[in-house]
Amino acid sequence: MIETCEDFKNNVLNLGVDVTETDFNQRGYHLEVALTLNTVREFAQKAYEQGFYLVFVTGFHVLPEEKEGVKFSGLEVVYQFARYDRLCRVKARVSVSEDMTVPSICHIYQGANWHERETHDFYGIMFSGHPNLEPLLLCKEDRNYHPLLKEEEKLKSFETVSWPAKTLESSDAETTALSDP
Amino acid sequence: MRESTIKEHNRFFLNMGPQHPSTHGVLLVVLEMNGEYVLDPQPVLGFVHRMHEKIGESRPCQGFMPNTARMDYVCALPYNHGYVSLIEKKAGIEVPKRAEYIRVITSELNRVASHLLWLGAYLLDLGAFTPILYGFDDREHILDILEDITGSRLTYCYYRFGGVCRDIDDKFVEATRAFIKRLRKRYVIYEKLVTKNIIFIKRAENIGIISPDMAIRYGITGPNLRGSGIAYDIRKNEPYSVYPEFDFEVPVGERGDCLDRYMVRVREMEQSLRIIEQALDNLPDGPVRSKVPKKIKLTPGDCNFAVEAARGELSYYLIGDGTGVPYRLKIRVPSYSNLSCLQELGRGILLPDLVSIMGSFDLVIPEIDR
Repeated sequence: MIETCEDFKNNVLNLGVDVTETDFNQRGYHLEVALTLNTVREFAQKAYEQGFYLVFVTGFHVLPEEKEGVKFSGLEVVYQFARYDRLCRVKARVSVSEDMTVPSICHIYQGANWHERETHDFYGIMFSGHPNLEPLLLCKEDRNYHPLLKEEEKLKSFETVSWPAKTLESSDAETTALSDP
Repeated sequence: MRESTIKEHNRFFLNMGPQHPSTHGVLLVVLEMNGEYVLDPQPVLGFVHRMHEKIGESRPCQGFMPNTARMDYVCALPYNHGYVSLIEKKAGIEVPKRAEYIRVITSELNRVASHLLWLGAYLLDLGAFTPILYGFDDREHILDILEDITGSRLTYCYYRFGGVCRDIDDKFVEATRAFIKRLRKRYVIYEKLVTKNIIFIKRAENIGIISPDMAIRYGITGPNLRGSGIAYDIRKNEPYSVYPEFDFEVPVGERGDCLDRYMVRVREMEQSLRIIEQALDNLPDGPVRSKVPKKIKLTPGDCNFAVEAARGELSYYLIGDGTGVPYRLKIRVPSYSNLSCLQELGRGILLPDLVSIMGSFDLVIPEIDR
């Protein structure tokens, strides 16, 4: 099944994003894309040009950590794309930095408008360039209350809620690890 | 000068809903109007928001089962189906073949019931009172059949991790076969009453045309998408359960207007009946529920499971953390994306056409608000 996503994978690799093929039977999607804040829009544009539709935008909350000197807020935004004409489901993820702002993609996918508003409701993530980031599902009085943010004692690290690393590594890395006595 | 004053007078805001019958639930659409033309329709959501996602993240995964039926209550069984399949995939639970067959039969019955209700309600929106009586008459048979086996008439909680909670009996099979025979005879009535009705055609033809590009930009799925000529059905494109074993077609329209969406749903009912017939003919023997550990552990990592609900693609996206409680549960509901295109679709059209478009979308508001 994975060959149906091959051309898209090669296409987005030019953007400098990190693409991993995943086991569809295990996870329900074919490609996992790790985006940076700078590549979100370019990636969405590529996906749109390739005929992908937007399945959803959402977020999740993990323990904040520091990567390469940059402090992250612990919030992650997840995008999912799929195609009408063939089986290819793509999950893209971006870590939100401390200023809590992610570029909006709703000028490319107008359907993202509501999804981003909802994510703002639930997590307080700001989407820069969004035309109307008003509460959608929650009421206006609750605009400073974000129900899906986890309490500190319930927060887990990103690694705890991710697939074990060995399934993520490429197959040749796995074989070298196995041959190592 | 005088003309422009009249024009200014004609501009006003109109609140359609939240108590308006044609919004099918508590949906408010704020309309900026110019006379009887709509300039800008703005849906306002959240009146029946219950935060199902938070509920899903705060209890063991078994406890969320009843909630799955309370989003799209008109077609609840595919919502059951998606959730149990997701957890079964995540926890590695086997499902007996007979159980999967029963799931498909009941899900498809529910889909037919949903389309029948929609047919009546849509025509009621357009001012035709009779079809809803016929639609409810037929739908009542399905509800009786499902009530016998599941114990509920609307908010089903029939599927369990590893199977279904009760086996079907001969009475169920007999009643289902009788219903299929009955509904096929009723098509003739529907065709005479609705499909060939000139008033209906005038209200639906060339109204609310969704182009394939627009569908991509908004993520439209289900019959609303297939009306635009794109044969995208999760049951075919991303097969789950035992759907690959059945022979059925995916009806599509041409123009993508309200009439095409109507025709797609009507033809889909027949395809659902075909699936049910084949499933009943080849129903395997055996258990309907496998042994499932009392405490289900969800392995770390995320997982997506998509099913075809009556209104389009329903995706459950779960992040596990090794415990029995989902760390994150996202529910992607079809009507949410389908409705979001209303603002673009409804610009510059007549108010009665907006009612026709919203009716043709087959909206269920508690599903959108979750």
